[in-house]
Amino acid sequence: MSTLLQSKQVIYGDLTQQAYTIDAFLGAGTQGEVYRAHASGQEVAIKWYFPHYIQNDVQLRQRLENAIRKGSPDNNFLWPLELVVLPNSTGFGYVMPLRPANFKSIVDLMRRRAEPSFRALISACLQLSESFLQLHAKGLCYRDINFNNVFFDPNTGDILICDNDNVDVNGATGAINGTPRFMAPELVRGDAPPNTESDLFSLSILLFYMLMLHHPLEGKKEAAIRCFDQSAMNKLYGTEPLFIFDPQDDSNAPVAGLHDNALVYWVLYPQFLRDVFTRAFTSGINDQHGRIRENEWRVLLINLRDSLFYCGCGAQNFYDGDNIKTCWACNKPLVSPPRLRINNALIMLNYDTLLYPHHIDQTQKFNFSLPQATVSRHPQDPSRWGLQNISDSAWTITLPDNSVKMVDPQRSVNLAAGISINFGNTSAEICV
Amino acid sequence: MTDIIKRPGGAMANRPLHFFWLADCSGSMYGEKIEQLNYAIRNAIKPMQDVAADNPNAQVMVRAIKFSTGAQWHIAQATPVEDFKWDNLTANGVTDMGLALQLAAEQLDVTQMPERCLPPVLVLVSDGQPTDDFNDGLNTLMNKPWGRKSVRIGIGIGQDADLEVLQKFIGNPEIRPLQANNAEDLVKYIRWASTVVLQAASAPASQVKDQVSGGVVPIPQAPPASDIDADDVW
Repeated sequence: MSTLLQSKQVIYGDLTQQAYTIDAFLGAGTQGEVYRAHASGQEVAIKWYFPHYIQNDVQLRQRLENAIRKGSPDNNFLWPLELVVLPNSTGFGYVMPLRPANFKSIVDLMRRRAEPSFRALISACLQLSESFLQLHAKGLCYRDINFNNVFFDPNTGDILICDNDNVDVNGATGAINGTPRFMAPELVRGDAPPNTESDLFSLSILLFYMLMLHHPLEGKKEAAIRCFDQSAMNKLYGTEPLFIFDPQDDSNAPVAGLHDNALVYWVLYPQFLRDVFTRAFTSGINDQHGRIRENEWRVLLINLRDSLFYCGCGAQNFYDGDNIKTCWACNKPLVSPPRLRINNALIMLNYDTLLYPHHIDQTQKFNFSLPQATVSRHPQDPSRWGLQNISDSAWTITLPDNSVKMVDPQRSVNLAAGISINFGNTSAEICV
Repeated sequence: MTDIIKRPGGAMANRPLHFFWLADCSGSMYGEKIEQLNYAIRNAIKPMQDVAADNPNAQVMVRAIKFSTGAQWHIAQATPVEDFKWDNLTANGVTDMGLALQLAAEQLDVTQMPERCLPPVLVLVSDGQPTDDFNDGLNTLMNKPWGRKSVRIGIGIGQDADLEVLQKFIGNPEIRPLQANNAEDLVKYIRWASTVVLQAASAPASQVKDQVSGGVVPIPQAPPASDIDADDVW
């Protein structure tokens, strides 16, 4: 139900003078309303502001113009393309790409209306980290990371970040302080304005929510609160924030029956993920310098995705040495597939594993554009598994007896213990 | 592979949020006013359900009290918002607003409420002055811990609404009663109360500078009366 613009109403692009025709109301927030519109046969989204919001946020127009001039940090942002105006009106809004229907909200994830696999979910977390890295690297601050600003494709883990109209140069005075439950403690207490470091805290909260379906500070202290009001939120997220899995202090531990997701998921993930979340919400909680940066999340989330393997029942489990022994879904003992050790990282060699330049070329970190290797089955003997070279260059392998062989493109190497592969500038060892 | 459970656990943990309509059905509401109120509340159901569906922090439960000569439950059972339906009210009698608050207070007693909740939301809609002991009713309400913690919104219909009484009910100088002088404003205010206020009481949205901060939860600014909602004009 729109209150600002009507269907078939025409508004105009500030830069291009393009006429945009309003088609339908999509939703409303605290700042304005979003519509679907079209121009020259192409569908777009338009956000149109409430008059009272424009009055309160005096820098809004300038901020949007800056964002439009700078352009999107990467393709994952539904970034403002141009301002739109109405003749003889002080109102305005902006045009952005339309979000495709296959993208679901994080609320859908929390309510279990969207069910990604672990692999897709981790890919979404990874893309989020990469996109915020791109945004922060441009000297910008997002200010309002929360459930409602991120959408994801449950099948692929592709993400889209919207509401980019609060983005400003890091340190600038803005109208938005953030969203409760996501704001860094210093913001909740009113001790500091939003900046890149508080964005990093909000990102850690969002990643924890996505992976654990729970808030990292809601444990016994939350359970003890009868009425969850403003003062309760200030205490829990601002003045007395305490991680539910703080190794030194269990006074805010999750309560069975109330915080079950936290208890279920925490033990399911490898120790290296638990360690980083523990840092994020212990040393990183009050010390801005202790916050986990996107680059660390990127490396960690790739390692997490590479540690996934299938139980015979089909459920995705995480490899963590001897720490995880049974499948979370069927409770049967897990059988690990062969693994590839590259430097300190372990990659599970599942039937569908693909290796990318990121894995096999030290100079191509974070390049996931074209697969370079795939797990394959021997055409005559399906019981034999191999790693097939689908790159353009030959690999060199060293067998346990120290003999050396070449693996030309399209050829495969047996997945047998003790074989090491030289991909060019990166070496790996097959473990079983 | 489609039958495989992809990930364990359940939906994100949340808390109940009890939402109460308190509707004036006195004789002065007879005719257009009560029909406008019925329309405005029916109009707000879908947006209210949408806001609740998009809010993983709350399980919204709706009840309604009607008051005229005496006060009665219009929806006695706390109803999940997804099942919330509105049977039209009729108007007749005096304005026993105090009794309506007494009735709400009974259900906000700690023995009646779940142990852990979000702040309850009470929306009082009236076109006139209470004819019974309003202060007694308000005191009873405010003596209940859940009453004190509630978010209270007052909407006056027409020029005769007692805004002073509504302000006392709200109990927060930063939130003013909303005066709806026409049907469009009423639709707008009822929708605001059932969406924006509902959201603010459970999962406050982005914190902007103009927010009211002195109450139980931050309440974003109400829409100005002059913004005519063309879609909702009837």
